[in-house]
Amino acid sequence: MAEQKSQPPRIAAWILKHTARYEEKFALFGDFDEEFQEIVRSRGAFFARYWYWRQCVRSLPVFIKDTVYWRVIMLKNYLKIAFRSLKKHKGYSFINISGLAIGMAVCMLIFLWILDEWSYDKFHEKADRICRVTTDITMGSTLHTGRSLTAAGPALVQDFAEVITAARVDDPRRVSIRYEDKIYQEADVGFAENAIFDIFSFPFVSGDPKTALEAPHSVVITESMAKKYFSDEDPLGKFLRINNEADFSVTGVVKDIPTNSHFRFNMLRSFQTLIAEGSVRDDMWFDIRFFTYLLLDEFTDPIQLEQKLPGFINNHLGETLKAAGGSATLILQPLKKIHLYSDFERDISANGDIMLVYLFSGIALFVLLIAGINFINLSTARSAARAQEVGMRKTLGAIRSRLIGQFLGESTIHSLLAMGLAIVLIKLFLPLFNSVIGRELALNIVQTPWLLAAFLGMAVIVGVFAGSYPAFILSSFPPVHVLKGLLKAGSSHSRLRKILVVFQFSISIALIAATIIVTNQIIFMKNKELGFNKEHIVVVPGMSENLRKSYRSIRSEMLNLSGVIDVGASDLVPSRGHLIGIFLPEGFADDQVLSMDYMNVDAHYIPTMGMEIMAGRNFSEDFATDPDESVLINETAAKKIGWENPVGKRFVFRPPPSSGREVFYLSVIGVVKDFHLQSLRERIEPLIIFYDYDSLLTLSIRIAPENIPHTMGLIEKKWKGLDPNRPFQFLFLDDSLDRLYRQEERLKTVTFCFSFLAVLIGCLGLFGMASFTAEQRTKEIGIRKVLGASVPGIVRLLAKEFLLLVIIANLIALPVAYFAMNRWLQSFAYRMDIHLWIFVLSAGLSLSIALITVSYQAIRAALANPVDSLRYE
Amino acid sequence: MKELTKIEEILLLAIWRLKEEAYGVKIRQYVSQVIGKDFTYGNLYSALSQLAKKKHVIKTLGEPTPDRRGRRKITYAVSASGIKALKAAREMNQKMWEDIPDFACD
Repeated sequence: MAEQKSQPPRIAAWILKHTARYEEKFALFGDFDEEFQEIVRSRGAFFARYWYWRQCVRSLPVFIKDTVYWRVIMLKNYLKIAFRSLKKHKGYSFINISGLAIGMAVCMLIFLWILDEWSYDKFHEKADRICRVTTDITMGSTLHTGRSLTAAGPALVQDFAEVITAARVDDPRRVSIRYEDKIYQEADVGFAENAIFDIFSFPFVSGDPKTALEAPHSVVITESMAKKYFSDEDPLGKFLRINNEADFSVTGVVKDIPTNSHFRFNMLRSFQTLIAEGSVRDDMWFDIRFFTYLLLDEFTDPIQLEQKLPGFINNHLGETLKAAGGSATLILQPLKKIHLYSDFERDISANGDIMLVYLFSGIALFVLLIAGINFINLSTARSAARAQEVGMRKTLGAIRSRLIGQFLGESTIHSLLAMGLAIVLIKLFLPLFNSVIGRELALNIVQTPWLLAAFLGMAVIVGVFAGSYPAFILSSFPPVHVLKGLLKAGSSHSRLRKILVVFQFSISIALIAATIIVTNQIIFMKNKELGFNKEHIVVVPGMSENLRKSYRSIRSEMLNLSGVIDVGASDLVPSRGHLIGIFLPEGFADDQVLSMDYMNVDAHYIPTMGMEIMAGRNFSEDFATDPDESVLINETAAKKIGWENPVGKRFVFRPPPSSGREVFYLSVIGVVKDFHLQSLRERIEPLIIFYDYDSLLTLSIRIAPENIPHTMGLIEKKWKGLDPNRPFQFLFLDDSLDRLYRQEERLKTVTFCFSFLAVLIGCLGLFGMASFTAEQRTKEIGIRKVLGASVPGIVRLLAKEFLLLVIIANLIALPVAYFAMNRWLQSFAYRMDIHLWIFVLSAGLSLSIALITVSYQAIRAALANPVDSLRYE
Repeated sequence: MKELTKIEEILLLAIWRLKEEAYGVKIRQYVSQVIGKDFTYGNLYSALSQLAKKKHVIKTLGEPTPDRRGRRKITYAVSASGIKALKAAREMNQKMWEDIPDFACD
């Protein structure tokens, strides 16, 4: 019979088989088949197959519902067991969960930070088409800068069709602003061309972005500035007096600049102002003051454009460069790379560092790894306690994959709980973290649900990852052995546990050593002999032109104040670097110019700062010719030029022919001992010091160490009397020098926190392991005591095992730390030596921490009364 | 005791009616005919396993036949508690319908 051979559709049957979960499953299949055959006979095989499929598909929802129901019932059982074992072993659970929570919190904080770093400048709509023109220019020495030739921007737009527009920007600086009776010092006030608003996406609240910065003396301000100065008034058309020099009319208000923008400002004055004032001309090629941003069209690859730039330079500057024997290269830097990949000095804003991003990610992963290792260690160690349960479940018919699922589920529950705790920890510590890294990160789960999803994903991954090893071990126990009590407590896996503990402690110890080295380098830098006395110097920057003219009388008035010891003046604020120029020592060929730092001071600056004259004399008011004929140099300059007796040697100055001045000479009257006015990362450069009253912008006042607030009050009152239009701003030199090491301080805080956390998590794990071992060996200890072992002997016995592991960890970690930190120290021109004591200290610290952790449990076990532990044997 | 659902009530009545013929295929066909649409195996076995759990039915293993490819059938019979539940269901139904004249539903 042909019909008899008809088989039900195989796929449908397979689906049925895997979805239905009833006790009566066999009967169900039989019914399906019977009815199928019946239909084959009555209506044919084709219709029967159709019927089978239809029946199958329509039954699926119910099957699935019922199946899931049973799964849920089983899951409830697993959950119940999971929470029971959580409650039963409160200590272990606490160690596990809190350790994991700390690890996760660290990881998530760093994740937030990295997200923030990556988000820089991505909010600009045309971000992909924006780049910055940076310059490498060589004339004697090489200047590598994020700035560009002043004339380059407009010329690029003219020469290349693919450059849609260009905008030049001056660094946003600190200025004083006055509106009616309100006078404030305001940071981040810059100059920019109007095209900046075509390039970047800074949305306007009011005003016209097309024309806002077209006219000279116009200014665009941010919303918060508008609120500050004009509260509810309409700011458009109002005038702000800037630096008490000129009035600027407000022509636009933009939304506050996002914190993840590398270019930030509170106010932008029109670039046309500078052109109108005559300090900038569009044909100034050898002028590297401004940042230039380009907007390219959609089809241009910056790399292609960059290849055309040497030709561009040759067209415009070829002759001049050849005559000067120099070279210049323009490099296009894509906007999105500015924040993380820039290495320019005095960039428009402090930039991030891609290496730091990698370093932090590495640390985050390590801390999480340490916490995960704890989890694995404790779970395998405790496997004996769970062995009975596993045996029971297996006897009752649990299959291995189900058991693995159960234990993975348990570890996932642990890690989800840890994640919950971690989120609380983050909420608590985010403000602290923000103050350390100097950013404003926020954890806002409600607004960014994908972040929550990411965190949950992380919790599940950690749970599965950390739980998989214990899960496979636990589920492999043969039930007969377990139930007969033949299985010894997790002994077979003790080697793995030891390796993991060693690994964990290696990371912690390396971090401890790194912290000590960073801290020491900072102490070294702060205490290094700087070549001058940085204590009790008050620096008052920003003297106006009027004050500059009456400097001498101001100085004598200041000296009359009680508490003021000496007053000197210089051009730049000490600690903020020097100007760089090109100088020609007499006797050198004309093309052997030297690039040197230079600064302008008055005759009192050097004694006020406590700098030392090694040879010759200081500038003096008694020599009227000093400002025009004399300079000082530092020791490094003397060495670099090769003068053995520099006093009396001369520099040659050739003013450009257009100025109509003749060649003149300045002779060296003295040599100043090398001094560090910059970070000790920087080598001391050759320095030449001019005596020039016209460029003195900054007062340096040495005050008596006693009664500083009183003295400061007197100085402020005097200053207000001299210049009522500006707020009195000052800084203490030692503070501002310390601030040079902010990055290092930050690194110190970060390594300190991480090593603390790594050690804490490691100790939690060690503590858990120790208490477990002590518990396992209760009987052994009891017998030993009965047989006459002393308490110290037993403590030694228990502690020895763990201390050995920590010693091995030291042997691994310290060489690694040595090489890594040695590389870090290479970035400092002046660095401390890595002494042996640092490693001895790290080793000692790690050992004693481990000893304290372990000995609590060891002593408790050793003191236990053997009667109690042996009673049931 | 929990009252029966409508489907359970129908199934119990069907089993009662079908006597020794009360196994999957027959029950399904009968119920489909009564309710006037296809009653799926999914619904059938979901409800049957509930009834079995509540012990309203007694299961007997039948013989395998070639059509069933060697699988035995399960023949159901209403248990004492099943009858009790049916009675309760009928009483409740009657109470609910009492005093409601036929035309009210038209």
